[in-house]
Amino acid sequence: MKTLGRIFIILFAFVLLSGLMVTAVNASGMNQPNFGGDGDRPEFRPQGSEEGEFPFRPEGEEHEERGERGDRGGFGWIFGAVKNVGVISVLVVLIAWPRSLAKKKKKATAAL
Amino acid sequence: MTEEVSKNTPSQTRSKLWVDILIFFAFLVTMDPRSSGLAIHEWLSLSMLAAMTIHLLLNWEWIIQITSRFFSKLGGLNRVNYILNWLLFVDGTLIMISGIMISEVALPLIGIKLPQGFGWRRLHDMSANLFLLMLGVHTALHWNWIVNTLNRYLIQPVVRLFSSRPKKDVAA
Repeated sequence: MKTLGRIFIILFAFVLLSGLMVTAVNASGMNQPNFGGDGDRPEFRPQGSEEGEFPFRPEGEEHEERGERGDRGGFGWIFGAVKNVGVISVLVVLIAWPRSLAKKKKKATAAL
Repeated sequence: MTEEVSKNTPSQTRSKLWVDILIFFAFLVTMDPRSSGLAIHEWLSLSMLAAMTIHLLLNWEWIIQITSRFFSKLGGLNRVNYILNWLLFVDGTLIMISGIMISEVALPLIGIKLPQGFGWRRLHDMSANLFLLMLGVHTALHWNWIVNTLNRYLIQPVVRLFSSRPKKDVAA
């Protein structure tokens, strides 16, 4: 019963935050596509509207065709995983290493 | 969790370790949808909500203790950790909700089709990149716990397993 209550609190916080986010995004007009339509309601066409037209991709995303968003052949997945682990490793080294050095230094001065 | 308030039984600590390892690898898979495929990316991300709930439940005592002491006497590191954990929760929620909004596989499969939006896609990418950075800081702040727990519950039992075998052979 206690665990159920806690799960309810976590889910309530999640739903509350989600609601706030949806409201904020809709209110800010961030999600209003201002292209593609000439009438009252502009249309958003992520897959491209006409034949031969390129599907819409946000800035920064790769434009080369790789089938669906989910296909990367060969060993591309290794690069992605290594890149993400690399970012985390760099942050760990930058934060945990100086902390551990400082701790050792503190211990050494305390021992003197 | 940080040293100041952690009082867990060995089985709780072991559960935490395995749940955290699971979440970490699931996160790595979901962070690269081009490799895993969109279906795995979406379903695994949705199931991460359950994994994150378990993670929070296992650390519930810490959350309650720090929440009640946040504005009174509290170590600086615990305060930083607490704020970072809240930011992770908010960012995780943003990733989840923006992912639901741009879902192309999971939601259409259960008959829900939401209008796709440029804003949500952009938010999804940005919040995922931010989450990666915050996860790095979160991992760094818990590095001692990770090393000690891995050593106690994974490395040492394996070492003991191999070091005890020759003794048995000798006895036989």
